[in-house]
Amino acid sequence: MNLLKWARIKSPWILHFNTGGCNGCDIELLAAFTPRFDVERFGMLLQGSPRHADILAVTGPVTLQVRERLVRIYEQMPEPKYVLAVGSCACSGAPFKDCYNVVGGVDKVLPVDVYVPGCPPKPEAIIDGIVKLIQKIEGEETYEKGR
Amino acid sequence: MSYGSTIKVPFGPQHPALKEPEHFLFKIDGDIIVNVKPRIGYNHRGIEKAFERRTYIQNIYLAERICGICSDAHTTCYVQAIEDLLGVEAPPRARYIRVIVAELERIHSHSLWLGIAAHEIGFDTLFMHLWRDREAVMDILELISGNRVHYAMNTIGGVRRDIVSEIIPKIIGSLDFLEKRTKYYMKVLRSEPTVLKRTVDIGVLKPEDAVELCAVGPTLRASGVKNDVRRDDSYAAYDEIPFNIVTDDGCDVFSRILVRCGEILESINMIRYALDHMPSGMLRVRVPMAVKPGEAVSRVEAPRGELIHYVKSNGSTKPERYKVRSPTLANIPALCKMLIGQHVADIPIILAGIDPCFACMDRLVFVDVKTNKKKALDFESFRKIVRRRHELL
Amino acid sequence: MRREDEIAAEIREKLKEKIITVEVPRERRIFAYIKTEALKESIKFLKDMGFKHLSTITGVDMEDGIELIYHLALDGSIELSLRLKVQKDDLRVPTITDIIPGAVLYEREVHDMFGVNFEGHPDLSPLILPEKWPRNIYPLRKKYALEHLRNLIFKEEDIE
Repeated sequence: MNLLKWARIKSPWILHFNTGGCNGCDIELLAAFTPRFDVERFGMLLQGSPRHADILAVTGPVTLQVRERLVRIYEQMPEPKYVLAVGSCACSGAPFKDCYNVVGGVDKVLPVDVYVPGCPPKPEAIIDGIVKLIQKIEGEETYEKGR
Repeated sequence: MSYGSTIKVPFGPQHPALKEPEHFLFKIDGDIIVNVKPRIGYNHRGIEKAFERRTYIQNIYLAERICGICSDAHTTCYVQAIEDLLGVEAPPRARYIRVIVAELERIHSHSLWLGIAAHEIGFDTLFMHLWRDREAVMDILELISGNRVHYAMNTIGGVRRDIVSEIIPKIIGSLDFLEKRTKYYMKVLRSEPTVLKRTVDIGVLKPEDAVELCAVGPTLRASGVKNDVRRDDSYAAYDEIPFNIVTDDGCDVFSRILVRCGEILESINMIRYALDHMPSGMLRVRVPMAVKPGEAVSRVEAPRGELIHYVKSNGSTKPERYKVRSPTLANIPALCKMLIGQHVADIPIILAGIDPCFACMDRLVFVDVKTNKKKALDFESFRKIVRRRHELL
Repeated sequence: MRREDEIAAEIREKLKEKIITVEVPRERRIFAYIKTEALKESIKFLKDMGFKHLSTITGVDMEDGIELIYHLALDGSIELSLRLKVQKDDLRVPTITDIIPGAVLYEREVHDMFGVNFEGHPDLSPLILPEKWPRNIYPLRKKYALEHLRNLIFKEEDIE
């Protein structure tokens, strides 16, 4: 693995995108960047622009009006890029799966690398998801099943 | 007033060919806002239709997920509507627990908002401090209900879990801490010149306009109007718990900050009183699965303002019709009014002032009246323009 | 007599034969059913009585017409639900935005969801439905089951 890729992955820059959820996952994702959980000390940063992001963290069930925009944002991200589905809605559409305006989980639209279920998942779970993603990228199979 | 057929010139990182609905269309003359047209819908999931497909019990969990920040307000409003239809009342202890959880939610929501407001003003340090301190409330909510967000405390006929005496000292300790911190933040916000410059006399909403446009919640109360569903249309145990309705006559964004801070302090006192006076007894009454035909209107004071639900039952286990009107929608006409005549750079703080859902503030489009050219900006680019202007001041 | 009962009596006296029913099911709740043509007159009368706050407007698809329910509050306290029915083959009512400006978005929402036309409304463009939503498909109408709507909106390849 080349040095640049390794360095970027060790400190991923994360683009957060809400596809029309209840905001529950968004506030827990944001909370992960506040002092109590403080993922910034690991070099993780919330980025505003897709052009600088490594990981796209998606919350919410994908609604009709947002689907195209989600795809465009993903396309604007440079390689290598990864997708984290945060929350039950992003994983599968959850309680809104049958609603007339909801496509479903993120994987109906983009390739997902890690799913973090929960309604919403706690900040610790989200951080764990990001860590698992990093491990997956590095190709290590050290993540324990059922800690 | 027509906005004309214009060429949209999108800014920002999104693909230029992407045609998107704007959420607020601003007509501007130079840097001053002349008119605002709202077109929300980012979060439209079609929930009201889904309500008709689920049983009354299942709908508690759907109602909860309308909004993650005020989910308890939605479930309280929902179960009250169904209890009304059934002609049952939650037992006294359950009503007190409902008040405690609702007020804890108000504290978490207002603290969250204060952090966002601080971020909009440019005080990221304050945002970090506020969200760190807010963790004290999140811990209590998790202690009581098992979850930090979506507490699932309410059920039709009462509450699902008790607040046991063992955890009360921890709750009181956290409340004491939060009270101290909130008073400190109020002192900081009142005395910081940058805060005052960015919020005093900004986004003014006169009381008569607030009433005419049917505004609700802290937005209404910050224009001096003393309406609060907890007192006016009392529910749960609010008629037994003394509290003050916090208002301010400033009518501007600064007043909205003061009102929410004041409400946090009131909520802390209400929880203390409720814990002290909590009656013993059952947590819930049994209710039937099917609800006889009828209709009901339920209202609660959510952190953002009056929340109203309407239900029509047809004798089956599923509702015939369920209507939800969230407080943010009620404040949008007032928001449009308070934006007119304001400087474009003040849009973020004025928008934030009504405490809207995040997603509503996603995308702004400007139409310059002189050139009739349309410009679309994503929020981050816009925020940079705002910061640059205020650094130059 | 409770204030609610006094108000109900005043409404009956003022609107006479234009009232179909008035009920006070519990404290702080009044449900009044009026003839459609009495809408503006009733709203004006109620506003003068003190019902200045419009909480929202609900639409309900019934077999014999679309019900519109205007939820008004007196001092934020007594909630009066004013109901009228609009025929499905003539979905028009006058706007009340000239009496209660705060109704502006609620009328737009009912228009989106049920197709009711509020005559005189300054701008009935879509409020909450997405840009791509097919016009003339009103989601909360009973004739559209949830699956039917999904099939209309999503093409075969989008959903499994």
